[in-house]
Amino acid sequence: MMSVLINKLPRNNIKTIITRSSEIQSCRHLSIVPSLYDDKDPAPTFFSSQVQILLKRLTRPDLSKVFRKRCNTGLFVLRTPTYKFLTDKELEAEIAKANEKAEQLLQMPPVVKMHQTINEVLSEDPALIGYDSCKYLFTDITYGVKNEHRIIVERDPDGVLRNCDHDIRKRLNQTYFPMNGRKIKEPIMFSDKDRFNDLLDNSKYEFILDRACIQYEPDEPKYQSVTSITYQHIDLKKCYEILRSTRHFGPMTFYLTWHQSMDNLMLELLQGNAIREAVLLTSLRQHIHGDVINGGEAHNLAQQILPTPKQSEKPENLTEEDIQLDNKCVECIEKFIVGNSAMKSQHELALQGFREHYQQLIDLSRGLRKAHGGV
Amino acid sequence: MLPPASGTGQYFEKAAKSIRLIRQGCTNRPFYHISVTQRKRLNSQPVIEQLGSYDPMPNINNEKLVALNLERIKFWLGKGAQVSTPVAEILGLAGFFPIHPRSYMTAWRNRKTERENLAKQAEEAKTKENTD
Repeated sequence: MMSVLINKLPRNNIKTIITRSSEIQSCRHLSIVPSLYDDKDPAPTFFSSQVQILLKRLTRPDLSKVFRKRCNTGLFVLRTPTYKFLTDKELEAEIAKANEKAEQLLQMPPVVKMHQTINEVLSEDPALIGYDSCKYLFTDITYGVKNEHRIIVERDPDGVLRNCDHDIRKRLNQTYFPMNGRKIKEPIMFSDKDRFNDLLDNSKYEFILDRACIQYEPDEPKYQSVTSITYQHIDLKKCYEILRSTRHFGPMTFYLTWHQSMDNLMLELLQGNAIREAVLLTSLRQHIHGDVINGGEAHNLAQQILPTPKQSEKPENLTEEDIQLDNKCVECIEKFIVGNSAMKSQHELALQGFREHYQQLIDLSRGLRKAHGGV
Repeated sequence: MLPPASGTGQYFEKAAKSIRLIRQGCTNRPFYHISVTQRKRLNSQPVIEQLGSYDPMPNINNEKLVALNLERIKFWLGKGAQVSTPVAEILGLAGFFPIHPRSYMTAWRNRKTERENLAKQAEEAKTKENTD
């Protein structure tokens, strides 16, 4: 009997320790402070063609991930794949079609400034005080008017007629013109902090971001805080790979660069031997802040990099032009680390690692060419 | 038998039209369509067109919801449709018409009854104090 008791005690202790540690964890997540786009409008920068091209390239789209099987909510039947024999011409047409569809799937959610509250009084009529104890909400349901331009007004119990604020507008638009997937009541995963933190802990980032895209408008404070917390969590855990080749990688990169916290991402790129993408990231920073020491050089290099194919495709088949370009990239990144990096030693270490790895690749590809009878 | 929501009523060019509330809810749960119909037709008969809706029961946020298809309302007003008093009141509150006199009357009467209730309560409290 006694031994059983003694056996039980430490187990209980372990349990309490585990629950405590999870409490501490959840406390730490609550301390992530969301930073919103509330002072300067990021939209002109985000939508400029250069930045869009850079962000799309940094997403590193992989078609097998873009067209992966996803949960089939909303689909009534799972379609079976069809296999066809195609001529080269037809195959090219199919690939072009697939690329077009991938571009559609990878379209990034917009990054815009937070909206201002609407407080526009249309008329005041104190003689109506006492008419009713509740508000009247009037919605113009004229056909063919867009949600953001719809007339929605309220008559308050004190007789004031005013334009509705964004939350009421959104609720009424959803009532009369429902959007598929959006709920009138906020889903519990966003309203309950514990559940939200559970999702973050389980790395369900894509799910959170997809749902936030449906549930909120991009200029809503709630959308910006949810995405901001998620991006910061990804940045802390360095799980960038989860978002790669999804539509959310671009906005995340933009967010991190805009709020001057792209050093972890830079480190991940250097450690993953993606030196060209690191240069693209510096170029992006130069576009957004203009504070990179060798900004012009980064821009020029980015222009040279963009037409080349993705780096990681054939690492052992380097041509001399590739080697030249990569060496230029290494120089550029060196200057960037000296001038702008906040994590100098780690970045330098990662760059050194890349150099050694790259030297091996160069030797390998030159040796291969020699063995095949090249010069 | 409730009429269909819109569009099946017979339409005569010259006959007088009226924009009115048509009750669509069930027992103890009123809900109204704002519809245009021939003036001589009963509310249970098919309407010409539905122009909006009005929910007289406050929702969970203490709001009454009104939907108005202003474009079509303007069209029917242009055709010379008569507007019934409750609809004119709603349109007045929405800021589309001038406020209907009956709204002012209701407000004034509500204020008056409230004032009387308050006075009555004060009097009762006073008598209670005196008896104690």
